[in-house]
Amino acid sequence: MTNDQPAIPPEWQEKLAQFEWRRERARELGGARRVQRAHERGQLTIRERLAKATTSFHEIGEFATYDDVDALGTLRSQMPASYVMGLGEFGGRHVAIGGEDFTVRAGAPQTYLDRMKGGLGGFVEDLAHEYRIPLVMFMEGIGGDIAASGEKGHSYLVSSLSWGRSYELLGEVPVLAMVSGASAGGTAGRTVLSHFSVMTKDSVFFSGGPPLVERALGKLPDKYELGGAKVATRSGAIDNLADDEDDAIAQMERFLSYLPQNVWQMPPRTPTDDPVDRPIDRILEKIPTNNRRPYKATDITSFIVDIDSFFEIGKHWGKAVTTGLARIDGIPVGIVASNPMHLGGAMDAHAAEKQIRFVDMCSTFHLPIVYFADVPGFMVGPDAERANVVRWGMRAIQSLIEADVPVVTIQVRKAYGMAVSATSDPDGLSLRIAWPTAEWGDLPVEGGVEAGFAREIEDSPDPEAYRAAINENFKNIADPWRTVEAFGVEAMIDPRETRVMVADFLNASLHRVETDLGPSKRRWTMRP
Amino acid sequence: MSHQPLSPTASSVWKIVKSAGASVSAGDEIVILESMKMEIPVTAEADGIITKIFVEEGQAVDEDDPIAEIE
Repeated sequence: MTNDQPAIPPEWQEKLAQFEWRRERARELGGARRVQRAHERGQLTIRERLAKATTSFHEIGEFATYDDVDALGTLRSQMPASYVMGLGEFGGRHVAIGGEDFTVRAGAPQTYLDRMKGGLGGFVEDLAHEYRIPLVMFMEGIGGDIAASGEKGHSYLVSSLSWGRSYELLGEVPVLAMVSGASAGGTAGRTVLSHFSVMTKDSVFFSGGPPLVERALGKLPDKYELGGAKVATRSGAIDNLADDEDDAIAQMERFLSYLPQNVWQMPPRTPTDDPVDRPIDRILEKIPTNNRRPYKATDITSFIVDIDSFFEIGKHWGKAVTTGLARIDGIPVGIVASNPMHLGGAMDAHAAEKQIRFVDMCSTFHLPIVYFADVPGFMVGPDAERANVVRWGMRAIQSLIEADVPVVTIQVRKAYGMAVSATSDPDGLSLRIAWPTAEWGDLPVEGGVEAGFAREIEDSPDPEAYRAAINENFKNIADPWRTVEAFGVEAMIDPRETRVMVADFLNASLHRVETDLGPSKRRWTMRP
Repeated sequence: MSHQPLSPTASSVWKIVKSAGASVSAGDEIVILESMKMEIPVTAEADGIITKIFVEEGQAVDEDDPIAEIE
């Protein structure tokens, strides 16, 4: 083969030799010793991550350089800049993709360059914005560091940095972030400006690391207790947990598979061989008719969505609601389901916050929402009040009303109190489909009678008998069939008919979705 | 191999269904917790024999507290 290649003209040899020398140096990252340390921790370098994640990659800013100076400003060596990025093919589609190089100054921002490559704005984010393609970020860095002042000869006021592009992208294209290693300070901040974030189980994520905490609070915490994956995925800072980098990359690909390239396009419908009229008789075994018996939300939703199509998001926090992406008849949809296994499905502040984030994301990318409601109310009790459950709950209602997408609600069992308004879209079509297990009201009859008629019961000659009589009366009134007859709920169906019915409504709703593309048109710019 | 089923949520122990020494199959209910008026079963993840029940009826448990040990 080499014999067939024409000889390189002599005047080109020197130019190409220099090119190759520079390219080799760029490939060395922060040096063999630092690369080896990453490998010993079981981590990939940024170049290895990019090679693993992409099927094609065209690098930009390959030869941008960082001058490594000592504390007094004397040049020690030159290294590649601390961010690697370009145009990649990821999950079969074009993306802007990049990440901090932790082997170069712990991935600190490239304020030493004329133009940032990425990490906070920079070329990679401009590429996502201008071409309207998703942004995939590998987050490993400690944010800013003091060395930057040494390089510039002055310290800078941090608010000179622009965050505008990073926030703007949230309303334009899917933004995905993976944490492997340490993500702290500014890098942590950039991580949460994403629609989906995932971290490997041995990584850490925090506002400030243990040394900073010790200086501020006088106590040196263990880094995993401070910001290990268990902390970050339970606080909701990070959406999902991954076993390792392979798993994290696979989860990002999976997430992206439900989303369009940008908000001006339809979410990608995929062909399915799972018929909408697939018999789902066994769903009846999974819905307890005894309302004191809980069930796992996913045990029910799995009958309705296409087989193996559910991808859960935020499993470890706000567990009173389960959220995730799925397909029904191949149509990408957002699934929200009350989860009676946690707090009996009562919506607490964390569950509301998680739901808002998810609903906002579905609305942004035009994913219809199917809500499986079984909610005894907003959570009550001292912990709930301290966590500001009422405000978060009212925000959850607002986000669902504002959602620009069709919402289909399945009334599974309980629907009590204000929290019910956070399960449907009363200002849209408000399609609420009840199952015969459904029950609803301002308050459950047992609690409601006590609250509403305490005086009357007390004053009666036989309080016990009077209470029983009131209970009986209100139980009759609470019979959900009475509401069905009054058209106070849009439909009552056999649960076994649900998949085929929801699929038909979703198919019809696409006429609306297709003619409603573009950036979100939120009506109310202020959340309470 | 042994495993310890954990409490899925902060709750109180409502009923101990199986006692130490009992053999169980995967999915069998060992203890039923109560939270928000819901009966939340804690089940065996695999077949085995219960070697220890860590909780008593009426006791408050936190999320992720071990409920029993199964060999």
